Amino acid sequence: MSDRTEGIREIARKWLGDGTVEAVVGWEQGTYKDKTSPVLIRTPEEADRLLFNERCTNNLMTYLKREPVRGMEKVGIVAKGCDIKALIGLLQESQVEREKVKVIAVTCPGVKKDDGTVPVKCRACDVNTPTFYDEIVGEKVDSSPEPGARFEGLEALDAMTPAERFRFWRGELDKCIRCYACRQVCPLCICSRCIAEKNQPQWVETSPHPRGNFSWNLVRAYHLAGRCVECEACETACPVNIPLMLLNRAMARTVKGAFDYEAGKDPETQPPLRAFNLDDDNSFIL
Amino acid sequence: MSKIGVFVCHCGENISRTVDCERVARASEQIRGVAFATDYKYMCSDPGQALIKKAIREYELDGVVVSSCSPHMHEKTFRKAVEEAGLNPFLCEMANIREHCSWVHEKEETTTRKAIELVRLMVEKVKRNVALEPIRVNVTKRALVIGGGVGGIQAALDIADGGHEVILVEKDPSVGGHMAQLSETFPTLDCSQCILTPKMVDVGSHPNIKLYTYSEVEKIEGFVGNFKVTIKKKARSVDIDKCTGCGECQLKCPSKKIPSEFDRGLKNRTAIYIPFPQAVPARPVIDREHCIYFTKGKCKACQKVCPAGAIDYEQTDEYVEEEVGGIVVATGFDLYTVGEQGPYPDYRGYGEYGYGEDPDIIDGLQFERLASASGPTGGAILRPSDGKEPKSVVFLKCIGSRHPSKGIEFCSKICCMYTAKHTMLYKHKVHDGTAYVFYMDIRSPGKGYDEFVRRAIEEDGAVYLRGRVSRIYRSGDHLIVKGADTLSGAAVEIEADMVVLATAVMPQPGIEGLFQKLGISYDQYKFANEAHPKLRPVECATAGIFLAGACQGPKDIPETVAQASGAASKVQILFSRDEMLREPVVAKVNENTCIACWYCLEVCPFKAITQKEIRDRKGNLIKRVAEVNPSVCTGCGTCAATCFSNSIDLAGFTDEQIYSEINALMAVGQDLFPEPGKEEGESPDEQAA
Repeated sequence: MSDRTEGIREIARKWLGDGTVEAVVGWEQGTYKDKTSPVLIRTPEEADRLLFNERCTNNLMTYLKREPVRGMEKVGIVAKGCDIKALIGLLQESQVEREKVKVIAVTCPGVKKDDGTVPVKCRACDVNTPTFYDEIVGEKVDSSPEPGARFEGLEALDAMTPAERFRFWRGELDKCIRCYACRQVCPLCICSRCIAEKNQPQWVETSPHPRGNFSWNLVRAYHLAGRCVECEACETACPVNIPLMLLNRAMARTVKGAFDYEAGKDPETQPPLRAFNLDDDNSFIL
Repeated sequence: MSKIGVFVCHCGENISRTVDCERVARASEQIRGVAFATDYKYMCSDPGQALIKKAIREYELDGVVVSSCSPHMHEKTFRKAVEEAGLNPFLCEMANIREHCSWVHEKEETTTRKAIELVRLMVEKVKRNVALEPIRVNVTKRALVIGGGVGGIQAALDIADGGHEVILVEKDPSVGGHMAQLSETFPTLDCSQCILTPKMVDVGSHPNIKLYTYSEVEKIEGFVGNFKVTIKKKARSVDIDKCTGCGECQLKCPSKKIPSEFDRGLKNRTAIYIPFPQAVPARPVIDREHCIYFTKGKCKACQKVCPAGAIDYEQTDEYVEEEVGGIVVATGFDLYTVGEQGPYPDYRGYGEYGYGEDPDIIDGLQFERLASASGPTGGAILRPSDGKEPKSVVFLKCIGSRHPSKGIEFCSKICCMYTAKHTMLYKHKVHDGTAYVFYMDIRSPGKGYDEFVRRAIEEDGAVYLRGRVSRIYRSGDHLIVKGADTLSGAAVEIEADMVVLATAVMPQPGIEGLFQKLGISYDQYKFANEAHPKLRPVECATAGIFLAGACQGPKDIPETVAQASGAASKVQILFSRDEMLREPVVAKVNENTCIACWYCLEVCPFKAITQKEIRDRKGNLIKRVAEVNPSVCTGCGTCAATCFSNSIDLAGFTDEQIYSEINALMAVGQDLFPEPGKEEGESPDEQAA
């Protein structure tokens, strides 16, 4: 990993030195030994704070949508293959201009969660060596996604009756404290005014009552249908451990089945919910 | 406080049979904001409307809910009535207690309760309605007619004679359609070509008609009054302006073995061809699929002989844009073909007739070509296999049609008449021959139609047998036709020299692609749907698009021509005004919250949304947002549904209105999340996620 860290620092130093970018978004050592924090590096001297290791779990693309990064003319960003999927989503939706963002891609053998386990996204990873970037560091890592890993856990949900499934989600969503951490970390939650904060009319009840919790979490899942790149940032951030990725992956599976589309693969393709094709499956209406 | 009037209609007995309308009215009075409620037998009738107008004045109503049928049926009627009483028409809403309630439920307590809830929901909506003013747009007074058969020709001529420009698009190299293929027409036996070709010539030379043959509609944008149409002119490989139509090229073309579409395969044509001598325009086209030069790279015989130098192998498909205000769809029909393969994969069959593969089993249009003076035999009835005169011909009706087991339930309507005509044409040419007809029923309503059939039977001696044929097979020189005469109860076996199948009338194969481009609906067989089966049979539900002829369902020539003139008249009504009023139910973007993801721009089927730049006073770009062109927007709401930042609202269907409707319903629905302490109800499966 140290050669990757060195590679990132070198490119950041160069870009910041010659004015290619105003700042570089990356990871640095966190307050705790086994954690990393996102960091905004503005000078070549600071570049040595950047690092890469198996604890670099955060998806930094979420910073592209907010200030001060949003207002910058040119910005560098360090990214794993999975993070780049989010960038592709943002490019498809015109939230970022490609010329403004310079990507330092890192090949990645997989990261580890706080408890030391390997996240589903790494077991199912098909982008260990990114293909969309400006510069790439690290030696090539071949992808070998574990069969069935991506949608694991969904069979159990499928096996439930609708009433059982409702009780399951009722139990999970009862825990929600409406901190909106899932929204804040999500690189693709791009609205400047969230529907949860719209009050005329107030579609989503704001108190953490199960009714509002259902509204909020379902609206969020629907808004990510065909868009979620499965970076797991929401689930990682959730302080009450709601299995949000089950919802997201169930939507992704439906989109895959109906439109043979996976989010974050190709900036040139149209997301299925805004594209129309005569061959689209219309069995749901006819 | 609102002062809303609720008007509950019985719709004769349509609603009152299962809904207690009087109780609905009484209950409506109790809803907060309702100042007046009443019920009446026919709210849409003159006294019904008068009742609404009187109440508006008397109670100074500021909103109206008519609780009756679907808005699709009578929203316009009631909004007009409300407007006449001095209220903005958009303050009137309909609660559909017919299609959504009385028609689909039994007479039960819950049915009336549901009707009351539907009224309550609409009252809540109307409270949040605002007055809207119609949008004025210009009308482009040019028409597009799609299809150059007799329907398209008639519509084009009528509109053109009315003084408006017409764009006529025909996919084949010539106009004329199926009528040009016919020999004589029922019930007068006048020659089809003699009555059609003058009209074809008129279409070709009319100063107001711009003819695009060998062309197809590629794309349609816009809306009533302002359509923008892209037409694909397929490469003809012949410069139509230089060509004189002398026909030398056809004579010299070495590729001569291509089954002629016009003669329905009974004769061959060349690769460069004029489909038939009376074609308009009488200019050839090169069939690139079969042309030796295009397939093998060598030949150019036509170019060598062409005295005008009109052959152009380099020609490519050309796209032209035309702006029109109204569209007539007259794409016609094709015949269902018996067989294992065919253009209608869903309706294959008839193995019992050997899939019609015997050359002496032909269809009705092939018989027309045999009987036609311009046909492959010069009008002599000769059987295709060996050119002998058939002494016994069996005609089978309802092949495909009225045959649910073959997948088609409808009656093709024209076959009874044309089969009677065929037997007469046959008898007039083969005096010693016998025509047999197997039929299910004889359907001959129409002026002079039944007399015509009687003449075929009584004067020309056609033998009509009521029953179906179970099998056709060849035995030496003959075809053995085995069937039943259900009137005598006897099995029948006929040695036939030729068999003619009256196959079902079907829409053109693949026509749904065009209908989708036009945004018009179609039925299970792909026949285009009219806006109302009785009262608006010529219009499509999509404004500005009209139907003529068999694209809508099986029709004979007089019906097609009548409908075409009807469509032309509708177009001219549309063109009678310089400005058109459009419903102000359009989308609006909240520029503060729009995040410029452009989902709306992509999903808008009408291309009504564009990008707008917001700049400060110095001209610096602040942000980009979506903007709706209200004169293009049709208010379909797709953008509003797609916008995840919730930045688009649809006038008349605002978030506030929808929310209050849902809330009104929630007030009576089951609470999925009861307060702690209260008993938790079992969530019904369909409500649970």
